[in-house]
Amino acid sequence: MKKVFLEGAISPEFIADSIAKHQGKHSIGAHNIFLGQVRADEVGDNKVVAIEYTTYEEMANEKLYEIREAAFEKFNLTCLHIYHSLGEVKVGDICIFVFVSSPRRKQVYEATEWLVNQVKEHVPIFGKEILDNADHQWKVNS
Amino acid sequence: MITVNYFGNIAEAAQSSSETLDHDSMSLVDLLELLDSKYSIAQFPFQVAVNRKIVSKQQALNISDSDEVALLPPFAGG
Repeated sequence: MKKVFLEGAISPEFIADSIAKHQGKHSIGAHNIFLGQVRADEVGDNKVVAIEYTTYEEMANEKLYEIREAAFEKFNLTCLHIYHSLGEVKVGDICIFVFVSSPRRKQVYEATEWLVNQVKEHVPIFGKEILDNADHQWKVNS
Repeated sequence: MITVNYFGNIAEAAQSSSETLDHDSMSLVDLLELLDSKYSIAQFPFQVAVNRKIVSKQQALNISDSDEVALLPPFAGG
């Protein structure tokens, strides 16, 4: 089982390092990356300052495994990686990193979007939006 | 004993992320009624997972000792 969940924000260094790790895989001709960043949504007179993520990890890992398997059947991919934060991620920081690699360009765009949609729709991850008045509300994907 | 896991705003309402109920076996419908009487969960949108698979709340399903039940508010990944 590949590790998806990371504690806290996903750092630019982690992302750069992931790219570097693929330089030895010479069948790859195209990478595509999606990065989701925590946005300072306005909630009435207040603003979101961070999102605190939790998950039902056993079920999430089962779902993520199914999604990975389905992606390899659906698209011509060399490899794919999904990382998602748990715990607090402040606005401006990265909370999801999806990285898709293939011999050629066309498939990676489609695969990336499909994967991000699958994670949002089917993986039990919950987000508590912390507001600047220390109040909170629960995030719902639209 | 039946174990129920709570997440998001339902964990807040239950003031706990997990609970074991003193029942060996009961229907899913009865279980959800019992939890609603304790925590008014019907006010929240949620899905139910039994053994990590989503099931319909109305499904005629018997929950027994070894089953893992979870109440899942709307997903918010990404």
